Amino acid sequence: MFPEWMKEASTPFSSVLVANRGEIAVRIIKAVQEAGLRAIAVYSDPDRNALHLEIADEAVYLPGDSLVENYLSSEAIIQAARTSGAQAIHPGYGFLSERADFARAVVNAGIVWIGPSPEAIETMGDKISARSRMIESGVPVIPGDEIAIPEGSDHMGALASVAARVGYPLLLKASAGGGGKGMRVVREPKMLRTEYEAAAREASAAFGDGTVYVERLLTGARHIEIQVLADKHGNCIHLNERDCSLQRRHQKVIEEAPSSAVSDDLRRSMGESAVLAAMAVDYVGAGTVELLLSPNGQYYFLEMNTRLQVEHPVTEMITGIDLVQKQLEIASGMQLGISQDSIGINGHSIEARIYAEDAKSGFLPSIGNLGIWRPPTGPGIRVDSGVREGDEVTVDFDPMLAKLIVHAPDRISAIRRMDNALSSFVALGVTTNIGFLRNALLHQSFKSGSITTDFLDSTPITEFDPEYSDPKTLVSIAASAKRLGLDRSMNSVSYTDLDDHSGHPGDPFRTLSRRFP
Amino acid sequence: MEWEIPDSDEKFSVDLTEREGMVTTTSVSINGIINDVSEIRISKAGDDSRIILETDRGTRFAHVAKIGDKWWIHLEGEVYTVNEVEKGSKSSDRSAGGLSAPMPGTILEVMVKEGQRVREGQPLMTMEAMKMEHRILAPKSGEVTSINFNQGDRVDMGATLVELGD
Repeated sequence: MFPEWMKEASTPFSSVLVANRGEIAVRIIKAVQEAGLRAIAVYSDPDRNALHLEIADEAVYLPGDSLVENYLSSEAIIQAARTSGAQAIHPGYGFLSERADFARAVVNAGIVWIGPSPEAIETMGDKISARSRMIESGVPVIPGDEIAIPEGSDHMGALASVAARVGYPLLLKASAGGGGKGMRVVREPKMLRTEYEAAAREASAAFGDGTVYVERLLTGARHIEIQVLADKHGNCIHLNERDCSLQRRHQKVIEEAPSSAVSDDLRRSMGESAVLAAMAVDYVGAGTVELLLSPNGQYYFLEMNTRLQVEHPVTEMITGIDLVQKQLEIASGMQLGISQDSIGINGHSIEARIYAEDAKSGFLPSIGNLGIWRPPTGPGIRVDSGVREGDEVTVDFDPMLAKLIVHAPDRISAIRRMDNALSSFVALGVTTNIGFLRNALLHQSFKSGSITTDFLDSTPITEFDPEYSDPKTLVSIAASAKRLGLDRSMNSVSYTDLDDHSGHPGDPFRTLSRRFP
Repeated sequence: MEWEIPDSDEKFSVDLTEREGMVTTTSVSINGIINDVSEIRISKAGDDSRIILETDRGTRFAHVAKIGDKWWIHLEGEVYTVNEVEKGSKSSDRSAGGLSAPMPGTILEVMVKEGQRVREGQPLMTMEAMKMEHRILAPKSGEVTSINFNQGDRVDMGATLVELGD
């Protein structure tokens, strides 16, 4: 039984397997259900109690102790689709979402793939082939020297001479990298070997491919990305930009749309380049063209993410378009049905990524039990969460717990709304970055809209220190709460049984070798 | 019962009086020395983690919960933790005296030898935890007096990795 809206579709489907976990699985499952389709979740052992399988119509267990055996296994996911009779697969982000071989295997299995063609993923996934395709298509690329350094034997001689040609500071990138993994800044020649080895290690551990390449590091640049949507009939539009300049070690922290650095003319030009980039690989579905905007107003192609982006909600808020719904429509073979002229900008939206990490100890991931988890609510506030109160936060997965998104008429009121939302977000039991997010948001540089990608890494962490509170008041609160019996009101697992190493209750033998791509 | 605040050596003890569900702090001692406190009154707001806090700055709501061995407090948009310790017990600060693993993980590389002199900020070890590499940097200049783990070793959070002398 296909839903009514699919009656014109050339490849209709009635069920979707969501090959992911956490907040994005929750987000997609809800969209699938809203579209009148059956949503099938997958899960591995540590996720037995996870939110995404609670809300799904059906859940398929993926055996195996490591991600490679479950969430990262093409075979396991396709087997799960067969078992559950899923007619389509949505990969979410991370995991298998940008693996061309997986997309190909899905298509070959006769299952509808909710994403671009394997060829498009392949071309854009390899930074070197993406770069040459962009040059051919007239999309500006970052100045630098292209070189592939194969994994294996010692290539320091070749690397050093290319590095010298490109010039310092430079960026070493894993060709198959992304999300800040396998990417290293080298400021001086003597650090080249150390950083290359670290990048190669991270890249091969996270992606199974140790190739690294060299690029000139642009300083004082902003990270601007353009959302594109393309159907199977040759229609391609862009949905404005997102500004993701607030980054820490190449991981986005706060994203917003529109960007205060992008004028209408620049938006039109960047948008046209992004559409050109997408068309160059016959792109289908939702994708993101990442650009670096230099202080002189020039912009350069960085990479194209051939999947749904973590920060997609800010675009949804200002355009009113549900990107996941559009992905489903496009995959079913329907026409895009939106013209470029009809895309406007309504107000301003900001997203903050809520991480289980401790800003005070170098942003190390934290573990524990989310004894209290009370996300804010109210007009213009959206929370995309993968966890609920009482959940364990372990070392098994990426430490992102949720995304807090606000929408307001203009940037200043969006900042105020976000500040209020963050301060009423009560998350106890696991150290989060909420306080840090709030202080970053209220930093003069962010408020004035002048953040560049090196801002967080070059600003002392003490500038984001939380407000001081009198220790006497704090210990009084704790002692009084104990007297009032509040230590007995929590009826969750016994925390003394939590394994110090993994955060799992009573399970000291889990391996640490799990990685979120 | 004594109380500790993270990153502080001070030990607090608190004297309370309770009347009709309202707990009033009468004094707070820091390292055994009694400090004057302006009145702090706390009562439950419902059967949840929510409390009402009355001080000379007015009435505020806060959330308090004991999770693990810590008390977690959400007060005016910020989160604080307070440790509850048995009177006279050793400090729960495990990082004292050496360089401890900031989180559980695996040692990837040891960059220094015992007896070697290091500068402040010099990388001593690389460890892998979750999905990233973390460098353990020397917090001060000095001599490496002991290296407690080798490449490939798995370490628990708080384990002392390297010891530095002057």
